[in-house]
Amino acid sequence: MILGALVLMPLIAAALLVLARQRTWLECIHALAALGGLAAGLIIATRVWRGEVPTAVWGLLRADGLSALMVVVITLLGAIAALNGLGYIRAEYDDTHLARVRSFFALFHVFIFTMLLAVTTDNLGIMWVAIEGTTLATAFLVNLHNTPGSLEAAYKYLILSSVGIALAFIGTALMYYAGASHAGEIAVNWTSLRAAASSLNPQVVRLAFAFILVGYGTKAGLAPMHTWLPDAHSEAPAPISALMSGVLLNVGLYALIRFKVVTDIAVGVHFAGPWLLGIGLLSLTVAAAFLVASRNYKRMLAYSSVEHVGMICMGLGFGGYWGVLGALLHIINHALSKSSLFILSGNILLKYQTTDIRRVRGLLRASPLTAGAFAAGTLALLGLPPFGLFMSEFLIFRAGVESGPMWVVMLGVALLAVVFAGMLGSVNQMLYGAPPEKVEHGDVLRWSLAPLAVNFALLLVLGLTFPHTIAEALEQALRVLGVSHA
Amino acid sequence: MVTELFPRLVTLLSFAALGTAFLLIVCRDLAGQVRLFAGQSLILTILAAVVAAFTRSAELASVALALALLKVFIIPRVLTRAVVKIGLQPAALPYLGTPAALVVCGGLVTIAFYVMAPVAASNPLPTAEAIPIAFAGVLIGFFVMVNRRRALTQILGFLMLENSIFLLALLATYGVPFIVEMGVFLDVLVVVLIMEVFIYRIKENFDSIEVDRLGRLKG
Repeated sequence: MILGALVLMPLIAAALLVLARQRTWLECIHALAALGGLAAGLIIATRVWRGEVPTAVWGLLRADGLSALMVVVITLLGAIAALNGLGYIRAEYDDTHLARVRSFFALFHVFIFTMLLAVTTDNLGIMWVAIEGTTLATAFLVNLHNTPGSLEAAYKYLILSSVGIALAFIGTALMYYAGASHAGEIAVNWTSLRAAASSLNPQVVRLAFAFILVGYGTKAGLAPMHTWLPDAHSEAPAPISALMSGVLLNVGLYALIRFKVVTDIAVGVHFAGPWLLGIGLLSLTVAAAFLVASRNYKRMLAYSSVEHVGMICMGLGFGGYWGVLGALLHIINHALSKSSLFILSGNILLKYQTTDIRRVRGLLRASPLTAGAFAAGTLALLGLPPFGLFMSEFLIFRAGVESGPMWVVMLGVALLAVVFAGMLGSVNQMLYGAPPEKVEHGDVLRWSLAPLAVNFALLLVLGLTFPHTIAEALEQALRVLGVSHA
Repeated sequence: MVTELFPRLVTLLSFAALGTAFLLIVCRDLAGQVRLFAGQSLILTILAAVVAAFTRSAELASVALALALLKVFIIPRVLTRAVVKIGLQPAALPYLGTPAALVVCGGLVTIAFYVMAPVAASNPLPTAEAIPIAFAGVLIGFFVMVNRRRALTQILGFLMLENSIFLLALLATYGVPFIVEMGVFLDVLVVVLIMEVFIYRIKENFDSIEVDRLGRLKG
């Protein structure tokens, strides 16, 4: 019941937004839908954590521990980006551009709908449809400003993501075929596929996983299929970049994780792990290379996402209790930190009217609040204590020391050091110095930054303490993935 | 008698579908390419109908019907409208010339047979023999997308790739479940409509639909 409501609410909101004529109405519906979604998401999560497995719509929707985790991440960051979006869109478009404002708000909720559907459906085919839907919902959002640059980004994004995900469909069809031919007539449900996993034809599953890895890997922004990501994430409006980088990439990873569980049972754990390690390491390398000499701060943040998705993949690749726990924690931490940085980058863009790092000078003097938060967020993103990313990266490397080849761990740490130096150098250039003369003193959008307090508070909580509820939630997700405490 | 004829008919139709993909490489005019796509979709519709009749599946019959409606009528019409609006012009402008492209596609067919051999061999269905042909169609769709510079031809490559995936699922498992197939069709339709809008915007912004012009974002 509530599960159906959670998924349907953003869709209904989008329909209402298309009909609404006045700006006040648009803003009210938008904010209410986002906060309502958060409430529904939290209710579902608490139910799941109490041990229930809610289902709806004849079993098509189903939320287990892993889904609950993703639902909380999507609805929480969705609400934060939505509240920020109110102010951001006001600053960008006045009432003469109401059509753009309307399409921003409506597509925002369609986007949330497709992500929620992807993580709460038990049917792998529907999941595919929903993930393709995320591309369709965001294509126009990337192109919202309708500049040549954003047009190019949106077109490439649409083509590359659609092709990538077409490969994932081949993988899904092959998995379905492997299931249907060996376990009798079964639906493309993850639960039934997992139950039958030990009797699947390993050769077909191997082939299927290869397609899945490339396909959903494209959506997750893993190298070498990441080329659309820096374009799309840097051209989209700030709240959308925040969601695309902080949340949407996780949906791609989520799909990969679901298939990895089945593959591990069908073929054995030594097949998918090395592939994920390799692709994770490659993503880290590519991101490090581009981060050393980044000139555009939005593209810098986008490449940093490639790096962190690579980190998460490495955690999954090392596997075991600590590896998977680290990967899940890193998903949460990265979502919290990256979305706040993208939201702050919107503030910088509004202030300086440029995305060029060399032309953003004296941020600390020009807008102290934005600059302070941006600096703190960068330190968090680079994995410094006391923030949560320090813990999750530590756990992932700990898993590597325990199980993995040692050289992979050492290379990973070295690449992180390169990223650290590159990004910190660029951010320092932006923070210090004298601001250009035309830039006035003071922050733009002060109140729209207020929701970010939640991000920073949670990052600190995950770095300094480890509350029982969060540990319990992660435990539940790990049980779904079949990983138990060593 | 029927059971002997069925796999041969399926293989024949699959080859015909692959043939239209090859013709897309040869064909140099946009309107003709759109017609080729419609033709390929028609072959797939017939194929789906044949499988539906053989398995007596009402679900598959309705999928065939939806396929005909969407890919033989609606999408070609949308694309023809786009062709007329942006002005008829020679479509090809490939990076590789026709003879070289045909050689590459021949190689892709060989690769497809190699990669899909384990799936075809382990599959008990009478349609299994044609699985590599469908996968060859997927690879050729890819090739068309990277080889052509015009945005519209890239879309046609994508649609043929999508058609081949449909064929692959049909041959390997008699199609994915109905609700999933409908969702996929909906996605494809929306992709085409969005791409149509982007083609107009690209034409407005760059005064051309050559993808080469899209090269500003770097680093």
